[in-house]
Amino acid sequence: MTAYIIRRFLQMFIVVFGLSVIIFLMLRLTPGDPAVIMAGLGATPETVQAIREKLGLDRPWYEQYWRLTSGLFNGQLQAMTYHVGVWEIIFERLPATLELGVLALIIALVISIPAGLLSAIYRNSPVDYSVTTVALLGISTPVFWTALILMLVFGVILRVLPVSGRGPTIGMWSFVTWDGLRHMIIPALALSSVLMAMNARLTRASMLEVMRQEYIKTARAKGIWEGMVIVKHAFRNAMAPVITNIGIQINTLFAGAVLTETTTAWPGMGRLMVEAINRRDMAVVLGLALFLATVAQLLYLAVDLMYVWIDPRITYD
Amino acid sequence: MAYILTAVVPGLGHLVQGWYGRAAAFLTALAVHGGILWLAVDKGRLGWVAEGRVDARYLPGYWVSTWILMGIFALIWCFSFRDLYRLNHRQEGMGQSYWQIVWRRFRQDPKGLLGAGIVMLMLYLALFAPFFAQADPIKMNFQAIRQPPSLEHPLGTDNFGRSILDRAIYGSRTALGIGVVATLLNMLLGGVLGLLGGFYRGSADAVIMRFLEILNSIPFFLFALLAMSIFGSNVPVMMIVLGIFGLQPARIIRSEVLSVREEDYVMAARALGVGTWRLIFRHVLPNAIASLVVTTTMRVGVNIIVIAGLSFLGLGIKPPTPDWGSMLRDAQEYFRVAWWMAVFPGLFIVITVFGFNILGDSLRDVMDPRLK
Repeated sequence: MTAYIIRRFLQMFIVVFGLSVIIFLMLRLTPGDPAVIMAGLGATPETVQAIREKLGLDRPWYEQYWRLTSGLFNGQLQAMTYHVGVWEIIFERLPATLELGVLALIIALVISIPAGLLSAIYRNSPVDYSVTTVALLGISTPVFWTALILMLVFGVILRVLPVSGRGPTIGMWSFVTWDGLRHMIIPALALSSVLMAMNARLTRASMLEVMRQEYIKTARAKGIWEGMVIVKHAFRNAMAPVITNIGIQINTLFAGAVLTETTTAWPGMGRLMVEAINRRDMAVVLGLALFLATVAQLLYLAVDLMYVWIDPRITYD
Repeated sequence: MAYILTAVVPGLGHLVQGWYGRAAAFLTALAVHGGILWLAVDKGRLGWVAEGRVDARYLPGYWVSTWILMGIFALIWCFSFRDLYRLNHRQEGMGQSYWQIVWRRFRQDPKGLLGAGIVMLMLYLALFAPFFAQADPIKMNFQAIRQPPSLEHPLGTDNFGRSILDRAIYGSRTALGIGVVATLLNMLLGGVLGLLGGFYRGSADAVIMRFLEILNSIPFFLFALLAMSIFGSNVPVMMIVLGIFGLQPARIIRSEVLSVREEDYVMAARALGVGTWRLIFRHVLPNAIASLVVTTTMRVGVNIIVIAGLSFLGLGIKPPTPDWGSMLRDAQEYFRVAWWMAVFPGLFIVITVFGFNILGDSLRDVMDPRLK
């Protein structure tokens, strides 16, 4: 087990390193000079050159790469166009995305798991048809459109929720204040819509699979009350793939966060990503990308380790 | 006699011989395409009608749609002849082929029919956009800015006075065009990787699986954003980026190949000295076709959503080219005063993707009941 974890960490290191090289090379190819964007309109070529020198953009590529990556590791790297450190700006935006993502995930699970469960138990009933149809509609709807429609309905027509932006925060978190929580509802609902649909479908499929197993028949044959069979024998086993899939959904969650944050003007990491790309800020883009890739890798590892805990038949030795 | 009637109007030959269901199908197809033809002539946009009467820059687009329509007419005639011939020369007691069974099951599945209907509708909107649209989707009209839905503009107009309906119709071209090509690339690349991995196993498989794992572990959307901003937002780049990063089909194909290659008939073919490629194309692939078709269908939906997302962020299709995602991007600024700008382009996306998804769902049920 320890050997396995060490191997995975090595693999993770290689992936992140390879990614840093690829992203750096991609950014070097980008048309658009950050120095020109920073200098602003009407800047003289001398000013642009001075900024370029200050950022080290006139150096050969390997020196630039070294400057960026070593700066990321020791935390000293300055953002090119934001006048603050890269990690400072990332960690300033992190809580906003984190609270949004967690709230969205909670909403999604609270609704999707019971829905998927009911749908599997009452298979081919009106309940099942409505759950599967709504779930299918859910995976067919782009999150940014869901966000726009929610903004239109709750913000413009009903005027019950704030349309965009983040409410007041206490210590970087906004869910602790009432107004902050109100601001979170629309983006969180939009973000959760896709997760909700995916998890409802997954719960239903997994539950149906388990209900086909022999031990369910055995349990029923023993005369155990059906509710007990479902809760204790089927549900617990059916949850394993659902739980482990949540880790894999981070990709969906991130793509969703970029889009919902842009739509609802939520100052999180997703919006930072789009901003930084538009401003050609290599340092911030690279930092964000590597940070996200590392988080994703850690989550995947956690998922793989969780398999062992959930299903004792699996070992990695 | 029946053949002569068929040559005049496809479906009549079936009618006199008593195949009423098929006759109705051919006559309906003829009527629908006749309707499209009438629309084209009525608006003066059929190639021959338009020649010399409209601005020359519109002509190539009109001609493409015209020839596609002519091609479909030719197909209707060919199929009606073939079908009639087959019905007349059918032998009694013949078994049904796999595709006949699939077709019979599919026809009884309302879900699949709805999906196929939506997909066909969107496909036709894309192919014959010039015939369906009322006005030029790009030309601005400052007399009609942000008008609510009315008889003249059924879905309202945008901030440049262009009809939302026309732009949405033309938008189906970018969505379906890029979506379908990217999906084919996904299937081709993913299919080759999955086939090789599953078939040869061993070290080739290990390398391919590691590569896929790495590709899966990086947030896809991040890479798409980067790639689009670097290589420029144009259509071929978008197709390639989506094509390369959506290799998930490789896993499905690989697992399918792994299970098929253990079957006795594959071993028998091998013992008979059948070569590797023939084995793959004649024995392994046809047996994996069900999951291939299902994945392809569902994948188109995913790609359409990603395309819309990239355009929404301003990194996909550039204005003024009509595209559902960039229409929603424009709507973001005006949705408080012009709800129609936000609602309708999104509905087009949802309906299209929903169509592909239920079609895929239904195909899974009818093509491979094991997967249900």
